[in-house]
Amino acid sequence: MNSVVVKSKEVTLLEILDRVLDKGVVISGDMVISVADVDLIYLGLKVLLSSVETIEKLRGSPFVGPM
Amino acid sequence: MAENGQLVYLYCVVDSEPTIKQVEDSENNLYSICHNGLYAVVREVEQQEFGEEGLKKNMADFEWVKTKAGLHERIIEQVMSNISVIPFKFSTLFNTDESLKAMLEQYGQEFKAILRRLAHKQEWGLKIYCNLEKLKGSFLSNQEKILEIEDEIKSSSVGKGYFLKKKKDQLIERMLNDKINECSQENFELLKELSFEARINRLLPKEVTEREDDMVLNSAFLVDRDEVDDFQNMVDTLKVHYESKGFFIDCTGPWPPYNFCGLSNRKGQNE
Repeated sequence: MNSVVVKSKEVTLLEILDRVLDKGVVISGDMVISVADVDLIYLGLKVLLSSVETIEKLRGSPFVGPM
Repeated sequence: MAENGQLVYLYCVVDSEPTIKQVEDSENNLYSICHNGLYAVVREVEQQEFGEEGLKKNMADFEWVKTKAGLHERIIEQVMSNISVIPFKFSTLFNTDESLKAMLEQYGQEFKAILRRLAHKQEWGLKIYCNLEKLKGSFLSNQEKILEIEDEIKSSSVGKGYFLKKKKDQLIERMLNDKINECSQENFELLKELSFEARINRLLPKEVTEREDDMVLNSAFLVDRDEVDDFQNMVDTLKVHYESKGFFIDCTGPWPPYNFCGLSNRKGQNE
């Protein structure tokens, strides 16, 4: 049954970015920072990521960095 | 335990003790945090790199994102090689192990329910691309309606010909849309039959895919491990049928179940 579960090595960066940046569980809670919605945009010849609104402070007490 | 100047980066949550093998480029600092029967696979990262300001800056650096996103994926894949995982979104960060435990406390029951649902299942992705010219060529030559209009154009005045040509173009466009919908729907429905859950995601533009052909379906399926063979056979059958008509069917997996871990009624899952 496991013979087919080897992932094709041809998986592209697009496939990874489409999931890792866009999907996956997002939780809200105190003391958490997280990347907000990321749009894949096109700039020049390369896919770049919008840096606008990269981060949202999720609900709860303001994020206090340990710096 | 995160020290001053460090944050805790959460990759995934599992419900039995994960075998932590260090992944290349991960600086050998992966570990797990246990709370109430759940384990969070985490790594300490620098506040400077992943803190609010650093992250903002780094997210604009494509090379950085590429490397870190790849690492994120590899770490989760390593963990999921023998257990079900709840994958978290890129750069989910906590100040301390304690704040992460508080989150596990808050969402514990939901996570456990999600993991029960995901047991023995895999996510597979299916993207379909269409080469419009090739698709046109595959069916237009024997379309009576089109041939009729073409005949009519030949025997028409310039003005009438112009409108007939417009009519022809609209007709072709409609036919193309029908063919594309037919292909997307048939693929999605047949594979959904073999899946536990299925979802359709937004299409990515050419600027992002960097392909010549257009994406016409972006979908994900949660498949029982025992059904994966059937699922793949179906994909192969569909490929044989559609790839000669200008469609390219791209099936990838198994993926961490990024698309099937939605928390009930909470902000988080796109769409």
